This record gives sequence, structure tokens and C-alpha cells, in this order.
Amino acid sequence: MKDNFLNNKDIAIVAYAETPLERRSGKSAFDFACAVASELYARTGLAPKDIDGLGLIGPLSEAGNPFWSNFATDYFGITPRWLQTTDIGGCSATGNVARAAAAIQAGMCETVMLVGADTPSTINRAHYGGYRGEFWEPTGLPGPPGMFGLLMNRYIAQYDLKFEALGKLAATQRAGAVLNPNAYEKNRTPITVEDYLKSRPVASPLRLLDSVMYCDGGNGLIVTTAERARKMGVKRPVFPVAYSEITNFNGREMTPDITETGFSVVGPEALKNAGMSAADIKMFHPYDDFLIAELLQLEQIGFCGRGAGSQFLLDTDVSFKGKLPINTGGGQISAGQPGLAGGGLNLTEAVRQLMGEAGERQVAGVNNAMVTGIGVIPYARNWGSSSVLILEA
Amino acid sequence: MNEKKTQRPVPRPSFYTKPFWDGARDKKLMLQYDPDSKSFQFWPRPTSVKTGKANLEWRETSGQGVLYSYTVCHVPGAGFEERVPYVVGCVELKEGVRIVANLIGVAPQDAKIGMPMRVTWEPVGDTNYYAFEPDR
Repeated sequence: MKDNFLNNKDIAIVAYAETPLERRSGKSAFDFACAVASELYARTGLAPKDIDGLGLIGPLSEAGNPFWSNFATDYFGITPRWLQTTDIGGCSATGNVARAAAAIQAGMCETVMLVGADTPSTINRAHYGGYRGEFWEPTGLPGPPGMFGLLMNRYIAQYDLKFEALGKLAATQRAGAVLNPNAYEKNRTPITVEDYLKSRPVASPLRLLDSVMYCDGGNGLIVTTAERARKMGVKRPVFPVAYSEITNFNGREMTPDITETGFSVVGPEALKNAGMSAADIKMFHPYDDFLIAELLQLEQIGFCGRGAGSQFLLDTDVSFKGKLPINTGGGQISAGQPGLAGGGLNLTEAVRQLMGEAGERQVAGVNNAMVTGIGVIPYARNWGSSSVLILEA
Repeated sequence: MNEKKTQRPVPRPSFYTKPFWDGARDKKLMLQYDPDSKSFQFWPRPTSVKTGKANLEWRETSGQGVLYSYTVCHVPGAGFEERVPYVVGCVELKEGVRIVANLIGVAPQDAKIGMPMRVTWEPVGDTNYYAFEPDR
């Protein structure tokens, strides 16, 4: 990967938008996508005619529609010269920032709208083909929680996992959701470490409160050149300064160490490209489908040593007031996971924080953030895609 | 909770997985072997992940290995309602591949990473589906 395509700060995020998360809204991805676009126009003064690039995620709720992105342009009234749906699951949102930046730098477009919207708690049309029907679904292993149960037990065999540390992370993120008006309403009540430890087993050692819950919702960004951001008079643009992504890490190995993930590659690489070390990161917004994934990221990106994630979490204040704030709006685990738009949830929160608009949960004086993505659960490994995006205000 | 009873999915062989399911019918665990890289692969694919070539052989395997990891399922997969709680394991075979399958005859508290396992079979549809049991 070219190591410096973002670090001259010639690309800027000029606006974010997010809808409240709902359960079984009865709405479609188009409802939420259009709501996100409306909010982006309201925040920037732009109109559909001003958008010449559109980056999307493929919603679970529209999984049967092979022309989702084309339909979306027609709903929006946008006439893009660069159009893309990115299908790397929870990496799609961070991945779209990098893809939009590259498309702008290549001269394909100048003003890009990125939108994620999905309504899997209303309808989920996903059908996983390939090997799954023959070699996964008949085994009795229940979907992503099952694979993460295998991953957790293997981690426990190799390292020291303290459930109190995961409980602290769960309780801290929940406190963020309490302060986040967009979080799913029923999740806006505090939980304790004890609540986590007592939550019912799903795929032991994985518990209910280790896990996300599908919601309906949407989020998005406007990305353009730094020059255009200045002309627009944007007060506090956010600059993507480094991005690194990998898919099918260890993919040719039949017996890899499954506790080793793509973050061992993309974490150090993104930090190097930004000229930073992990200690320089002021705020961490890791993809959180399951709590153990956050612990593995802390270790493999380099916030702490291998196997030291539990102790790091116990020793560190990860609230919005703390030394390393983590998923300040509750993350997906507490705010809710809007299906495949979920990768945009923590990204939106990071941008909101860097623009100084996070209200009661604002991190004081924060000027950078790391946002990550995890996409797709493969067979007997950890996850398919890993991405790291570093932002500066 | 998932209260309604569901059907265990029946595997529908693909063109390139047919030898696996032909073997399963005779309770033989057949794996793809890539003679170029001298390695097995699972699950079956049209080509080798090591070389990208279709130069693959099917070989009957020992069906023996050790438990690499496991999870105790309290929320059942389709068709597994009556087994809750049950154990699904990831078994590393002697041949150097890992297979995820239901563990038969292993109570949740008895599962131990590293325990020797051997393949066993359960009838599903008109074929047999692989599972693993302790290799004592």
C-alpha cells in the first residue's frame, strides 16, 4: 500500500449525520439513507446537485437488490461520477473514507457523500452462499456468536482473560449510550460489571452482554478536498491522515493461531503512516461486534502487549473523561448495531467528537482519533477484514 | 429465546464438493490434498488456496485430531433445540486442517482443549454429517 496518500491532509470530512437507532422501525434502508442525506445537506448547505461522488454500504435489508447503489442515486436525486457500494462488512464505512479520498485524488469526483443505512431488525434478506450451507449451518454453530465463542476459549487457553475487564468495558460503553440521544432507547440505562457477569450465556464463554443487537438506522459523512472545505467555510474539518486495511489475513493457512488478527498488520502500519505511536492516540473507536474483539485490537494495534488487554482495561479509565476514551457514544454494543451500517456508528461518533459536538459526553480538547472496522466472520478464524483509520482535527 | 423447533439444514453438494459427500455417505472423511504444496485444505474449494491450481486429489483421512477450541451453545443453531446446551468444537486433524463440528458424548464441563478426538457420523437427509467424539 502507498504509505502516504492521506498524510498531506488534502482530504477533509466536512460533515457527519446520524439517525436515532430504532428496533423494528418498519422502515427501509431508503428511509434512513434519505434522512441521513437530508441532514448532511442541512449541515453543509449543499444540495443533491453538488454531490458528484457517492459511496455506500450494502444493507442486509436490501441484500437481494443487485442494483442498490443505482436505486439509491435515484432516491437521492444525485448524479454521481463515482459510485460504489463497499461490501467488506463493518470495514465498509472506514474503507469508504479511504476509497472516497482516492477517488477525489484521482480526479474522478470532488464532493462525496458516504451513506450507510440498514434495517435488519425490520427485515434481513441476507443469504450466505458459498461453503456455509454445507460446512457451517448444519454443524449447529450459531452464527457469529458461535465463532466468537470458539475465539474466546482459544484466547483463554493461550492468555489471561479477565471477565471483570470485559465487564468494565461493557459498563463504560453503556454509560456512553446513556448520554447518547441517538442510542437505542431501551439501552439507555446503566449496567454494572455484575450485570455483565450475570448475563445469560449465548455461546459460552460468550455472554449476551458481550454482543451487539441489530437495530435500524443510518449514518453518513461528506468528504471533499481540504481546499473546498476552506471555501465552504467549514469551521472544524476532520482530516483522515492514515488508513490501512487487510482482508483474509492468514487466508492460505489451515491451522493459524486464531487469536492473531489482521490488526497485527494494519494497526502498526496505520500508526507508522500517521507518524504516531499508540500512545499518541487520544480517543479509540474500535469496531465492537463483541467485547473480545476490542480487547484483541488493543493488544494487536499496540496499546498494550499481547495477553495484557485485560489488565490494560482494568488499569485504564476508558470513559469519555479518561486517559483513553473508548467508543464514547456507547459503541454498537450499547447504542445498537444498524446492520451493515454499523461500521459507520463509531466513525460518526469520532467525527462528532473531533468537531466538538458530542454534548454531555464530549472528550475535552481531543484532536485525534483512531477508528477501526471488522468485517465478515469466516470459517474457524477470527474475522475477514480489518481496517484502521486515523483522524485529526 | 428461540422456542420453535426448526429443521437441521441438509447439505446440498456442489459440483466440487461431491466427493466429500460421497465419502460421508460411507462414513469416510475425505479431504482435498494439494500435491504441489503437499498440504490438505478444508472446506473443499474448486482450486488450491496455496497455488490457485485445480490440481487437487481426494484422500481418505484418519478422522483423528485434537480439540483446538470449543464453545457451549445455549442459543441453538437450526435443528439443535433439543440438544441445548451442546458443545461445538474446532478439531485440528492430524492432516493439518481444522473442522468445526458438534461434539457428541462431551458434556459442557468435560470439554478440554487438547483432548484427542475422532470423527463420527450422524444421519442428515440422505447422507451423513460429520461430528467428533472423544478418542479414548
